[in-house]
Amino acid sequence: MLTAEDQMAIEQKLAEFLTKSEAQWSALVDKGGNLFAQCGETGSLDLSILSALAAGSFAATHELAKRLGESEFSALYHEGHGQHILMSALHHECLLVTIFGEKTNIGLVRFYSQQVTVILNELLKLASEKEATSGPLLLDGDFLNDKAAIT
Amino acid sequence: MAFINYSSREIQLKIVYYGAALCGKTTNLVTLHKQITHAQKGELVSLATDADRTLFFDFLSLNTKTLPGFTTRFQLYTVPGQAIYNTTRQLVLKGVDGIIFCVDSHWEKMADNVESFANLQENLIENHLSLVQIPYVLQYNKRDIPNAAPVNYLEFTFNNRANRTLAFEAVASTGAGVLETLNAAARLLLAKYSKTPNANVTGLAQPNAAATVPPPADDPQAQPGKAVA
Repeated sequence: MLTAEDQMAIEQKLAEFLTKSEAQWSALVDKGGNLFAQCGETGSLDLSILSALAAGSFAATHELAKRLGESEFSALYHEGHGQHILMSALHHECLLVTIFGEKTNIGLVRFYSQQVTVILNELLKLASEKEATSGPLLLDGDFLNDKAAIT
Repeated sequence: MAFINYSSREIQLKIVYYGAALCGKTTNLVTLHKQITHAQKGELVSLATDADRTLFFDFLSLNTKTLPGFTTRFQLYTVPGQAIYNTTRQLVLKGVDGIIFCVDSHWEKMADNVESFANLQENLIENHLSLVQIPYVLQYNKRDIPNAAPVNYLEFTFNNRANRTLAFEAVASTGAGVLETLNAAARLLLAKYSKTPNANVTGLAQPNAAATVPPPADDPQAQPGKAVA
């Protein structure tokens, strides 16, 4: 669960990260594939697909890491010809996914991502503690017997 | 795990299609992608081999305005059914909110179906989950084949418990029963957010008076798309 304040705080940190690293787009994705905060430009990319693929890719490499005796690979980097993607593990079952191009380089992006992950971990910890004490979301309506949810 | 974003007023729910190899999981998603018109849908992504066998997962995202004041984003995944991809199935089950278990109605597939159902429960445990917590719906697929196992046999095999879950007959290749199955699963997930308390919110239908169902007699095939009574 993410309140408006949590989201704003996270997106502000992502914006600062993008400015320093000169990356194009960055987002927080949970390991189930849900995107819950983002900043930057992705053009026409379908973000739900991107999040699902990033989470799946990271989960697969996590298993590889376990087979090698590592607890986790903390980062996963894919290099393209013009576009590259870096995925960094956060606590609370989340990933920081960053897309960058020729304007910057992996060293700079990795350097600033390591800094921002510390801050993001703190923010996620606070959000998680808040969620533990808040009540469930309940809305008016009988959704079980209602008309079709999807048409 | 359901994700609620109060800032963007969005709820993200993950539904996984599970079942034995070639039971119709991918076909369900392909059909849904063609059938769904009003819900905002994304592109269907399939990570598959050259022989069109699911290698990692299929993915389809659907946005609806079902809950008042919120956009509900259903993220539909399928798992690879082949036995060698068990680790991959565990990964896809991460954060699952609801499950649609597809049963292949061929008689010779029964052992595979049963093994897959047991495998589902094992993999949920690996993810610290269980079918008691996660709403699930059964889909008896391929009802159009000539030697389909009778529905009450399938009910006895897969739904024989004190609290039975919803089950639907389907022919995924033609679309019959596909949307009905998904809507049933969706409603079970959405019911958790209703102020109206409902005994079925964990995904279990009304309890039977008897703890077990007696062995079935042969019965003619009923229409696909209809919920099994």
